[in-house]
Amino acid sequence: MVQGTQINRFNLTTLRDFLLRQGFNVVLVVVVVFYALTAPRFFTVANFISLLHAAAPMMVIASGLALVVMTGKLDISVGSTAFLTTSVGTILMVRNGVDPITTLVILLAIGALIGAVNGLIIVVLKISPLIATLGTMIIVRGIGLEITKSTTISLPEEVRRLGNASIGPIFVDILIALAIMVIIHLVHTRTSFGRWLIALGNDQDTAARLGIRVNTVSFMSFVLSGLLATIGGVLTLVQVGAASPSIGSGLEFTAVSVIVIGGISLFGGEGSILPGALRGVLILEIIRNGLNFLGADPYAYRFVNGAIIFIAMYADSLRARLPVTTRTFEAPDTPKSG
Amino acid sequence: MGNPYLEMRGVSKRFPGVQALTSVSFEAYAGEAVALIGANGAGKSTLMNVLGGNLQSDEGEILIGGQAVSINSPLAATANGIAFVHQEMAMLPTMTVAENIHISSFPTRAGIIDRKAMEASTAEVLTRLGCHFTPDTRIQVLSTGDRQMVEIARALLSKPSIIIFDEPTSSLTSREKARLFDVIRTLKTEGVTIIYITHFLDEIFNICERATVLRGGSTVGGGLLSELTTADIVHMMIGDVGLDTRSAKHSTQQREVVLKVTGLNRRGVIKDISFSLHKGEVLGLWGLLGSGRTEVARAIIGLDPIDDGQIEINTGSGLHPIRPREAQRWIGMVTEDRRNEGLLLPMSVKQNMSIANLRGLLSRWKLIDNRRETELATHFVNRLNIIISSLGQPVKTLSGGNQQKVVVGRWLELNPPIFIMDEPTRGLDVGAKAEIRRIIFELAEGGAAVLVISSEIEEMMALGERYLVMNRGQIVNELPGTSTKNELMGAAAGAAQME
Amino acid sequence: MTTVQGSSVDNAGSLLTRLRQFVTAHRFFDILPILILVVVLVVLALFIPNFFNSRNIVNVFVQASTLGLMAIGMTVVMISGGIDLSIPSVMALSAIFGAMHLRDGGSIFVSCLIMLTVGIIAGSINGFAVAYLKMIPFVVTLAMMTIASGAAIWVTNSVSVPVFDEVFFDLILARIADIPRPIIIMVIMALIATLVVRRTLFGRWLYAVGVNVRAARASGVPTNLVIFLTYVISGAFAGLTAIILSARLGSASANMGNDGVVLDIVSSAVVGGVSIYGGIGSPLGAVMGAIFITVISNSMNMMQISFFTGLIIKGVVIIAFVAFDSLRKQ
Repeated sequence: MVQGTQINRFNLTTLRDFLLRQGFNVVLVVVVVFYALTAPRFFTVANFISLLHAAAPMMVIASGLALVVMTGKLDISVGSTAFLTTSVGTILMVRNGVDPITTLVILLAIGALIGAVNGLIIVVLKISPLIATLGTMIIVRGIGLEITKSTTISLPEEVRRLGNASIGPIFVDILIALAIMVIIHLVHTRTSFGRWLIALGNDQDTAARLGIRVNTVSFMSFVLSGLLATIGGVLTLVQVGAASPSIGSGLEFTAVSVIVIGGISLFGGEGSILPGALRGVLILEIIRNGLNFLGADPYAYRFVNGAIIFIAMYADSLRARLPVTTRTFEAPDTPKSG
Repeated sequence: MGNPYLEMRGVSKRFPGVQALTSVSFEAYAGEAVALIGANGAGKSTLMNVLGGNLQSDEGEILIGGQAVSINSPLAATANGIAFVHQEMAMLPTMTVAENIHISSFPTRAGIIDRKAMEASTAEVLTRLGCHFTPDTRIQVLSTGDRQMVEIARALLSKPSIIIFDEPTSSLTSREKARLFDVIRTLKTEGVTIIYITHFLDEIFNICERATVLRGGSTVGGGLLSELTTADIVHMMIGDVGLDTRSAKHSTQQREVVLKVTGLNRRGVIKDISFSLHKGEVLGLWGLLGSGRTEVARAIIGLDPIDDGQIEINTGSGLHPIRPREAQRWIGMVTEDRRNEGLLLPMSVKQNMSIANLRGLLSRWKLIDNRRETELATHFVNRLNIIISSLGQPVKTLSGGNQQKVVVGRWLELNPPIFIMDEPTRGLDVGAKAEIRRIIFELAEGGAAVLVISSEIEEMMALGERYLVMNRGQIVNELPGTSTKNELMGAAAGAAQME
Repeated sequence: MTTVQGSSVDNAGSLLTRLRQFVTAHRFFDILPILILVVVLVVLALFIPNFFNSRNIVNVFVQASTLGLMAIGMTVVMISGGIDLSIPSVMALSAIFGAMHLRDGGSIFVSCLIMLTVGIIAGSINGFAVAYLKMIPFVVTLAMMTIASGAAIWVTNSVSVPVFDEVFFDLILARIADIPRPIIIMVIMALIATLVVRRTLFGRWLYAVGVNVRAARASGVPTNLVIFLTYVISGAFAGLTAIILSARLGSASANMGNDGVVLDIVSSAVVGGVSIYGGIGSPLGAVMGAIFITVISNSMNMMQISFFTGLIIKGVVIIAFVAFDSLRKQ
């Protein structure tokens, strides 16, 4: 009897653990199946390609943010960074006639610089990352709005055409985004720097005791975040065809949702780019795409987004508190004879 | 026997206000384990931190293999073949065993971590240690004992000839302990020199060949363990104290029970704790570091959750069971960690003293009565003889002794029937210690029941009317107030032997 | 002769020590915003002749009143060591629900009650998640911000809900002795909030939690309850602000609580001496900060500095003040 209830409880716990650990994979499958059944044009190759196309910029931005979050910090200036760099780029090309390649190099430098400023403020002044990047988020957006005078500036025609460049049926930006994700994934899993990020996220003091230069690692994570936010911004810019104040607006919040849904813990030390961050991007994009097909009220998107973040975050905090069962690894018992 | 492999000669180290080490000598032979023994504050950690390169000595020299060496950083220590297995483990739970071991310098090939090499060298060390988990296991799922093995594996990676173990068994189960000892024996046969720091005397006789005893920052004795007894070592640790420094104690007449704890359990921390505390009594909760003393106190007042057990308090009309979170209305606890879990450092003396008793300061309008707050604070500042410039002075600017008196004063304002004092005099100077002890006596005199936890045997002797002896989360013995120092020490160490 | 000299030297010495104590102690930082405000006001008086025109001053204060009320709510949360990013969006959502009720012929009283209730409910959810589920305040309130503004956009389809009710306007906006009621409400609320945090059980607990949660818990403070209540209070202030702002604007819309507002609130609190690390600050200071921020916006307007440059200045101000704050902590 007692044994029976124990087995029962064991199963329930396993189910709960399974849902907590695999919850978003389950959600992904359920959502895809649901849309496939209810929206006939959803489950088509063409739709999936357009879905990936739409998600490409976020894949890049979220990868950068993920590196920061893995150390247990946050960078909410990514949206503003994307906006400022695209504005500068467009102005350089349209008004100053700078060629696209030089422009790209300049933009990457600006993005890295913004990241470096964030990193310095946080590492040197020891200001909470939230407030520091909140401050730079406002400043950077202010600069962008100032130089564009808050207007929309169209890209030169030849650059705009790049937005739909494709190899066969697949848009080039999808390939770029996936390639970047793979590279960041390798940096995260296969380099010392990547492992140190996770070490910092586990516990910064312990990491320091083990001889890791925690300040340098933190600083670099912010630089990369700024760099990747810029690349994501450029991908958006080319897709949209014009620099406009709407680029990157509210993007930091979407990126944080992607991170949380992707199972990258906001407490740091846990999570992956592949499949984690990619899954986060896809779930959000699929939900949006499917709602579209179902003819849902577009005004409801933001609400749905918020609800998803809340659920994801709740799961994250539960997961963080989940008792991890430890065990002692003993020598396997020698089989008794007879 | 030849020359010692490691020799430390005339090592002295002074910290502001304290002479931590006075011309300490220490030697260890290759293939042997040397126990470094001493009470808290005897200088063991300081000495080992000098050897590990974390501290620079003021005087003295270190010889390894007969050569004088200069160890001015942890890196230099590693270069000289010295590895330190710290008591406080540096584990990164979400990372694998291999990553944890190699974290400070990964083997890389063209900037990419060479996982094969990393896992191979990890597997090699793990086999040497007799571990049965794989290099790609996450630390998260390992028990404390296995984590300790990882910590040792990290130390072994640099192929050291000297390994310092600092209290390696304080959180291990007996099976894990047995495995650790096997490992140490293997290391010894490989010619490694082991320095073993512990409180548990039984372990020393089990695993070490030689002992060095420190007291008050000086070497007071040592030698081959085959020629020593537990009593010899206890004697060296606590010194020649003929008379007990015990103050006048109350007769142990039958008194009303005010706190009754029955079957308190918290898995993996404390087990089946039951005892009673009487009105006007000072009860000493005695045990070695890590024996679960503090954990019992925290569980009673609801700071840590419990799995089961009952707490009853006499609130005036007999014993009533209470929920742990309510206990703080009748129990004032002076926590062990004064700075992090006692004081509100930037806040004023007055506010720190009133925080537990705010309900008693409300006026008719449910506002805090500033005048009464000041009166009460002034009263207890005077009674406890706290030296401050004004009641508004932030407590972080006070000396340790005055800070501790503020914490005590906080609970005096509430005036509960029960007090728990966890290491009430830690880090205080002699004068302040005496004053705190006097206050404890006055409390008991006034009818309060006091449970005292202390690592200092003299303090236990001076205060306790009765002792509960703890070991590995359990109460293993109860001793009367007339017990001698040797009996108390023996009970704690002997209790360790029972395992 | 010698004794007199000696004592005067002593006096000078102690005066100097006291001055140094005064400057180095945190009190210096407490008055810093006021000092800066005075400097800014002098500059304004010199460069903008119309600034001290009484109509403009009243106007600035009315504008500051809604920001100030939200900043009071934020201050309570920040003293406990948390942050509430959802205040503006919850405020907008509350205003929308209340305005819709009024538009559909409901009573003013019930409309106001709806606004307060929506705020309190949202605050309770935040508080529960942070205090009892141990979720991160920043993220909880970020999600609440997205949900509330999402709901606001959804129910209104991004169209503002007009409020045409003379009685409502009168009730909220009327002047008493030439001072518009919003200013009076803000001042009264600031005084009450200051009294609450300084002189009540809750207030003392609040600071203790913000200074050191573990020490507070060990001193018998019901820490979870205190944290929960801070978010309920900030929600209630969001509701109260909704009432005033919907009357002032004559409408309620999702845009009332745009992302820029939350930055203004955080700036107000930080400039007003509230520590982002908890345990330090007062509602009165935050209201000062709100006035300061409004004055800066307003004067930049009058000096024809663009809104965007204004953003840059605000960002720098926030970082500078938090840097001060973190220096003060060290």
